[in-house]
Order: sequence, then structure tokens, then C-alpha cells
Amino acid sequence: MRGMAWRLFKRDWQSGEVKVLFFALMIAVMAMVAIGTITDRTHRAMGEQSSEFLGADYTLRSPRPIEHDWLEKGRSDGLELTESTGFSTVLAKGDEFQLVSVTALGGKFPLKGEFEIADKPFTRGQTMQAQPEQGTAWVEPRVLAVLGAEKGDTVDFGSIQLTIAGVIVGGPGQASEMFNVAPKVYINQADVERANIIQPGSRVSYTLFIAGDIQSRENFIDWVKPQMNKTQRLTGGKEGTPALQASIERAETFLRLASLISVVLAGVAIAVAAGRFSRRHYDYAAIYRCLGMQIAQVHRLYLSQLIIMGLIGSALGVALGLLIQQVIIVQFADFLPKPMVPINWAPVIAGGLSGLVVLIGFALPAFFQIARVSPLRVLRKEMVPQPVSSWLIYLLAIFTMALLMWWQSGSLKLVGILLAVALVAFVIIRLMAWLIFKVGLWIGKRGSTAVRYGLGQLKRYPAFTISQVTAFGLAFIIMLSTVLIRSELLNEWQSQLPEDAPNHFLINVQPSEVPNLESILAEQNVETAGIYPMVRGRVTGLNGKPIEEAVSEEAQNDGSLRRELNLTWVENVPNANTVVKGEWWNDAGQPDEDGVYQLSIDQNLAGRLGVDIGDVFEFSIGGVDVEGKITSFREIQWDSFQPNFFMIFEPGALNENMATYITSFYLPAEKKPTLNTILREMPTVTIIELDAIMEQVQTILDQVTAAVEFIMLFVLLAGIAVLYAVLQASKEERVLSSTLLKTLGAQTKFIRMTLLSELALLGIFSGILGVIGGEVLVFVLYQEALDIEPVLHPWFWLWVPLIAVAFICLAGWWGLKSLLKQPAHQVLRQL
Amino acid sequence: MLTTNNLTKTVKLPEQSLTILSEVSLTVNEHDSVAIVGASGSGKSTLLSLLAGLDTPSEGEVELAGHPIHKLSEDERAAVRAQYVGFVFQSFHLLPGLTALENVMLPIELKEDKNAQTKAKELLEKVGLAERLNHYPHQLSGGEQQRVAIARAFASEPKILFADEPTGNLDTANGEKIIDLIFDLNQQLGTTLVLVTHDDRLAERCQRLVRLEAGKVIEDSVNESFEQAKTAETA
Ligand SMILES: Nc1ncnc2c1ncn2[C@@H]1O[C@H](COP(=O)(O)OP(=O)(O)OP(=O)(O)O)[C@@H](O)[C@H]1O
Ligand SMILES: [Mg+2]
Repeated sequence: MRGMAWRLFKRDWQSGEVKVLFFALMIAVMAMVAIGTITDRTHRAMGEQSSEFLGADYTLRSPRPIEHDWLEKGRSDGLELTESTGFSTVLAKGDEFQLVSVTALGGKFPLKGEFEIADKPFTRGQTMQAQPEQGTAWVEPRVLAVLGAEKGDTVDFGSIQLTIAGVIVGGPGQASEMFNVAPKVYINQADVERANIIQPGSRVSYTLFIAGDIQSRENFIDWVKPQMNKTQRLTGGKEGTPALQASIERAETFLRLASLISVVLAGVAIAVAAGRFSRRHYDYAAIYRCLGMQIAQVHRLYLSQLIIMGLIGSALGVALGLLIQQVIIVQFADFLPKPMVPINWAPVIAGGLSGLVVLIGFALPAFFQIARVSPLRVLRKEMVPQPVSSWLIYLLAIFTMALLMWWQSGSLKLVGILLAVALVAFVIIRLMAWLIFKVGLWIGKRGSTAVRYGLGQLKRYPAFTISQVTAFGLAFIIMLSTVLIRSELLNEWQSQLPEDAPNHFLINVQPSEVPNLESILAEQNVETAGIYPMVRGRVTGLNGKPIEEAVSEEAQNDGSLRRELNLTWVENVPNANTVVKGEWWNDAGQPDEDGVYQLSIDQNLAGRLGVDIGDVFEFSIGGVDVEGKITSFREIQWDSFQPNFFMIFEPGALNENMATYITSFYLPAEKKPTLNTILREMPTVTIIELDAIMEQVQTILDQVTAAVEFIMLFVLLAGIAVLYAVLQASKEERVLSSTLLKTLGAQTKFIRMTLLSELALLGIFSGILGVIGGEVLVFVLYQEALDIEPVLHPWFWLWVPLIAVAFICLAGWWGLKSLLKQPAHQVLRQL
Repeated sequence: MLTTNNLTKTVKLPEQSLTILSEVSLTVNEHDSVAIVGASGSGKSTLLSLLAGLDTPSEGEVELAGHPIHKLSEDERAAVRAQYVGFVFQSFHLLPGLTALENVMLPIELKEDKNAQTKAKELLEKVGLAERLNHYPHQLSGGEQQRVAIARAFASEPKILFADEPTGNLDTANGEKIIDLIFDLNQQLGTTLVLVTHDDRLAERCQRLVRLEAGKVIEDSVNESFEQAKTAETA
């Protein structure tokens, strides 16, 4: 039997019978492997890149020295580890001194990315992974400005002196910590003890930087996590770059979706091709049965063919997919994250196996039909097999699909969304079938004979029509939603980092210096995002109770309650802030009858602390108690690169004399010297340069964008391939009916009209299905998975059906025209 | 070889049920040749499908080579077909993806016979297609295709051959050739023949003639011209 299956497969192959199915499978596997691998590789490469912000794959921070056996375990796991000690201290040179944040490195750093160490501020330097030599320090530019020092000078550090060996102009940066921090200084670990600088009671944090291959580090993380206590914190991967977190997460969701979508496309292509294959084989099976083959034998015969085809098709698909992804990655290396990581075999194997699973899930029902054909078909051509219970087919297909998607995406939620939308699409399709019938009646009374005939063609074979509309419609749904999501993501990213996003922060501006600063900036035509007063204060109570009693234990551990907060006051709602609950003050400066001023608070913080509108916080600000009554919640766009505050007071509440001012602005490279002017005139002002980090952010966004664009292109191509496959599969029915018309004496013009109106109707119906399904899918995805404000896209409501009609007519006609030119009897013989 | 008793076939239509064959009783002996004739729609094809076990009767009995096929399942009937039955149809029903040779080999292979190829070649030689072994159906004329179909029908060495208008799609000359072929093979192999036909020339060469009208047998006679032909042959 197996020998026979193999022979039949070869014969079917030669006769072109299995080619369509085979190619559908191959393309499907190819798409899954290529998309899966590209996604996986860019994803991991992006992970690598965000590690550069951290300076490692993971950091483990602890208020006490890192446990010795953790270090040993990490090293024996083959990880690269660097220990560091962090604390604040004062550097002095002569009369000048500056509070700095010291990181003492016990080994080379950063483990991911590189330092850029220069001789002078604001110049390019040398890149390296290293640690300062004993007795030397690397400092940030503003340390030099404040101390009036330059490279080679010595500064006092505890009981010893350090030589400034370089200026840090590039290196790992932690955007989340860019406020409040004293300038950074890196020294050698050995100098900490020599300087005798850490006293009992000093606030010291110990950080372990961890890097290594993914397997070993995940291993280590899994091992170490359960042993960590509350005071220890693990940061890793994308968490290292909070400003980018949302973007990267969305890109990942998009890529995951794309690979899910490739599964759907594969399923559609295979189901259509298998349907055609089985229809073509009813005659064969009837003859086999007539010649005395048992049902089980016929089943086995076709199952063996299916398996042979699955194995060969999947293998070829995997090979082609790998080839394509390699070509893409090499071809577009400039746009993709660098360095590119090697192939991970998991998505490749998954793609290959998915091919088999999709083949079984989508082709099996059709194949199963074949053997159920009655041998009577040899006498009565119209005998087709009883359909397998359609529920069974749908359940099997949906089940395999869900399983595959879950496997590919690892996200039950995404799978749920897609399935729910599939259900909606199913209902729409049924509705459409009904509509086709109704519209058919309507046109039937009005349209020309050719149009009527074309429509009749669709009405006559409702199952066939529905399957075509479904396949086309699904392809359009997928293509449309890919395009929409991609545009939305790109928009978001572009607006997130506009050309002139602030790239410099000034802090510690004294109230008296504000007018001077304003005039310097105005002179240079530099616009600020606003100059905000800033006062540091600690939350002491809530609604008259001490804070420790007023909030839950979890809330007590929230960073906002454990350290001093930056507080400000403004009259109007700042940019990048939206009031989402309560109301903003409109009588700024007027306390209520109890003398309490209004307070606006970040909505997420409010959620974490469990407070609501009307609650009253007590603060201790420079030893003075101040109360604030919450009257609004704000949603804050934290990645807007402008000063943002958890808590904002109504003007009048805080003492202006205790404030320092903060601002941010965009400074193009050629205006950098302005910074020197500012530093000269206001030596105590602190400048934070973000331009290097922002450049990196921009690079990452560019790369994510490129990845998203490729994948979209790929999905579109796969979608077109599916459309084409469906047209191919239905081609011969069309040729047959038009050849019959021809034999009956119809004019070519009439036949052309018939075919075009049939194709156009298919286009309209599937286009409408595509628009409705696409909008629903995108709406749900925005809301549930991508966290984007859902919108409708009326612009596409017209375009998609139009494009659908144009495409289906053109491609359909193109495939048919050569056959239509041939004499009728020749065509009939080929079928 | 083949007996039926009160064979009746009714089909359910949306409105009423339709009796397309009623109470047909026939006996066909081994080596017999029987022509079933009648107007279009009289139930000839239906009767043939019941006799060959392609379909089951609504009532009545069919016994084929000792097997009560009205009682058998699909698969059991298939087994009976594989063992005893050959078919030739009006539309030739060759597998378009297989060559002439492969088409003829198929039923032999189904019997798991190792000599399929040699036997198929011999048969194709007998029907005069030795030169066309590796041609596909669409490369053959209608008459040639029908000859392949006949070779295939005899390939499994059936005890009984059923044919539904085997000359229906052919011109006179080709029809003649096919008729000769069928009867030659019938003679050589001793196969029982049951033919449905509109073709008088074909009907004339059968021993018996069964005429149907509206699903009923209205005539079952020994063919005189057949007797004449036989006498002429011996003379
Ligand atoms: N499944 C069915 N459903 C409804 N009517 C049927 C069915 N099968 C056969 N008939 C009807 O039964 C009658 C006999 O059909 P059958 O095919 O046996 O006729 P026939 O004698 O072979 O005719 P022809 O010479 O035209 O081939 C016809 O009227 C046909 O329409
Ligand atoms: Mg008939």
C-alpha cells in the first residue's frame, strides 16, 4: 500500500495534481520559518542592544554585599560577572567640591556595550570595556566644570587622592535615573578600602552586573530569584530602558502577531488547496472503490500521500525559509540591530512541525472526504461525498490553529483575540452568503445576461463561493490589519521621539538664576519644555494618620514613600499630562476654607497607594509640614523627555525660596557651546546630557521600525500568494463553465463579462469582509494587546473593496486568458 | 452467476418518493451475455448499479457469484467487486494522471498481483494499443480511451463484466471495434456480460435482451438474431 501511495504521489506530481497543495504547504512553512526566525533573531538582537543601556544583560542590586555563593554559582554557570559598589560622596579640589555618585568597579565594565572615554568634555573619545586603574577616576563632564579641573588633575577622595584619567562621554546610561543624580564617577574597587570612605551607616548599594548566553543566564536567574529578598532588585532585558519599554513591547507584540498570522495564512492556503485536491480526486476514489478498493484502503492511500507530501513539503519549506531569512538579514544588515545574533533552532523546528500540524488540521477533513465518495459516482457524476460534519471540520481546524498559535506566540491572550475575531468573521461570512443570494435576486432582475450568469455561477455552488470568499476575506483581513497596525506603531514611535525632543536637562537652577537662564536660552533661540520649580519632600501621613498605618504593607514599600519625592507647582496642566479623573484647579493659589491646597497625582501611583480623589496627604518639606488634597489624577507620558512629576501642587502651597528649578530643551550639536556659557555664568547648575542616549534610542526605534516593515512586507507577500493560490484552485471550475458557454456558442465578449463579473463580485464581498474583519481585529488588538487608543479607519472602507476587486479581477483574468484563447475541445481534454 | 428477486429502488424527493425500479427479477447464467435496453430514463443505469453492487436496493435481493450483496456493507461489496466484477462506462473513466499502462495495471495491483505490468501489457496488445502504453488519456482518442477502459475492465480477470453504454460516445466505426473487442474477450475468457445500451448492433450480439420501461421489465427474451449469428458462425 505504501509503495502504491508513493507511486501515486509521483504520478499525481507529474500530472500537476498535488503541486498546488504541495506549494501551499511549502510556502506556508517557508513563511513561518522565515518570519519566525527573523522575528526571533531581531527580537534577541534588540534585547542585546537594550542590554547596552544596562551595561549587562541583568543587574542585581542589593543593599548588602552580593552573597558569595551566588557569585560562585554564576561563574560556574559560565557567566561574566562584575561586582560594583555604589555610594554618594564628595569630590574636592581646592575650595571647590561636588557631590558625586561613585561606582567602584571590581572588574571590567560595561559587560554589554562600551564606555567612551575622552580627554575633554564634549569631544569624541576612545571606546573600551575596562575599569579605571587603581588611583584614577573617570568622571562626567560636569564634575570637571564644577571643580574647575581637567584630565590629569588630582582630586580628594576620602583619605586619598585620585587622578582624573578621562571624561566619560558615552557608555551605559540609565534614563530612569537621570534626575536627582549627582554626576557619575567611576573608580577602581580597590580604592574604596584605601580611601576608607564607607562608614557604618553610609548608604551603599552593591550591584552585580551579569552577562552571558541566554541559556546560562536564564538558568542563573531562575536559580537566584527565589533566594532574593525584598531589598534586592533584579533588572534585566528591556527593563533597562524604561523610555523604550512600551515601544519595544509593542514591536514584539506586532512580530508575534505576524508569526501567528502566517499560521492563519498557511491554514487558509492549505485548506483551499486540499479542498481542490479532494474534489479532483473524487473521480479517482470512485474508480478505486468501483474496482473494489476498501474504504480503509482508500483512506490509507490518501493519508500516506498526505504524509509523504507533508514531510517533503515541510523539509523544502524549512530549507527555503532559512535561505530567505538569511538573504533578508544579510541584505538589510544596515537596518537591523547589530551585531545580529545566530539562528536559534526553536522557531525553525516549530515552523517545520507547524507545517505538518497545519496540513493535518486543515487538509485532513478534505482528504477524509475522498474515500467516502460513493462508487456510484462512476455512473452519476453529480454524486459527491456526504460532507464530514462541518462542526468537526471547524473544530479540528480551530483547535489546531489555536494550539499552533499558542505555541508560536506563547500568548493565550493573543490567541483568544484572534479566535474571537475568527468567530465574528465566520458570522459575517454566513451573512454575506445570504446577501449574495439576495443581491443576486436583485441584480438578476436588472443586470445584463453576462452579469446574471456570473452571479448565477456564485449562487449555484454556495459552498464553493463561501470557501473562496472566506479565503480571500481572511487574506484581506490579515493584510489590512498588518498595514494598519504597522502605520499606527510607526506614528507612535515618530511622535514619541520627534526630531526636536528635549535632549538636555538643567537642574539645580537657583530661583535668582531663572531670568538669566531664560535670557541665555532665548538669545540662542532654544525653546524649553517649561521651567519648573522643584522642592523635595517626604510623604508623612494620609488623612491624618501616619503613612505607615494608612496604607497597605505593599504600598509602604513603594519607592515614592521610601524616598524623597520631587514636588512642583504649576498653574496649568503641563504638556504630556492628561487629567483622567477629578478636575484641575481653576482658582490657582486659593486654598480651601481649612487652608489646604489642591494636589494632582499620577494615576498609576494613586492606584499603587490605594488613594482616591478627596484624600489628603501630609508632607514634610525641609522640616515644615504641608498638606495637599487630591483633586485630580493625571496620566503622564513618561517617555516625553521633559520634566515630569508624580505629584503637582496648586501654586501657593510650597515655599518658593526652598525651590530649585529644572528644565529641558532640545540643543542641536552645533549649539553645544551654549552649555559652556551656562556653566560659566551659573556654576552650580547641573547639566544632564541625554543626546547620546537619545541617539541610541533613535537607532533602536529605527531598527524596530525596519523589522516591522519587513515583516509587514512579508505578510503582504504571503497574503498575495494565498490569494493567488485560491484563484488557481478555482481556476478550472471557471474555465470549465466558460468553455461550456463557448461550446454553446457564446461570444468571447460575453464570456469575458461573465468571468469578470463573477470575479468582481467575489472581490467586493471579500473586500467588505476584509474591511469589517480587519477593523474589528485591529480595534480589539489595539485595546487588548497593544495598548493603543482604538480608532476606525473610514478611509480604508472604500479602498480595500476596490483594491480587492482590482486584484482579484486582474490576477484571475490573467490566469484564465491563455486558456480561454484555446479551442474548446483542447481545454476540455486538459481538465 | 447473478440472480435478483423483486428488486425495487425508490428515491425520496422533497415532495414525494419516486420508484425508479420496481420488482425486477432476473437470472443471468455464467457465460451469458445480456443486453438491457429501454428508453432514456427507464432505469437501466439504476438496475446496472444494483446488479454490480455499486448501490443497494430499497427492497428485494441481489445475489452475485453466490454473495447476497443486498445484505453486505460497502466494504464487503467492494471486496466482491474486486474479485468478480469488471466495468466499462460510457464516459471512459480513466484516471487522467495515469498512463494507459498504469490505468490497466491498477486493478491488477489492487489484487496484489506481482505480474501486473506483464499482464497489463498483454491486454493492451490485445486491444491494439501496444504502441501507446505510456500515453496519458488526454493524448488518446475517444475510441482509444475506451479500448484502454476495456483492457482495464478485463485486467482483473472478472467473472462478470458490466458495461453502461460502452459505445455511447463513439462513432459507428469505433463503436463496432469496441463491440468486437468486448465479445472477443468475452469469448476468450468466458466472462459473463451485462450491457446497458441504446445501440442496436450491440444489443443484437447478446444472447438475451431485457427491455425496461418505467422501471419495469416488459420483455426478457432470447435474441433470435443471436441464434442466427451463431448458426452462421458454425456454418
Ligand atoms: N438519485 C436519484 N434521485 C432522483 N431521481 C433519480 C435518481 N436516480 C435516478 N433517478 C431517476 O430515475 C430514472 C431512471 O434513471 P436511470 O439513470 O436509471 O435511467 P436510464 O435508463 O439509465 O436513462 P439513460 O438512458 O438516459 O441513461 C430517471 O428518471 C432519473 O431521473
Ligand atoms: Mg443511463
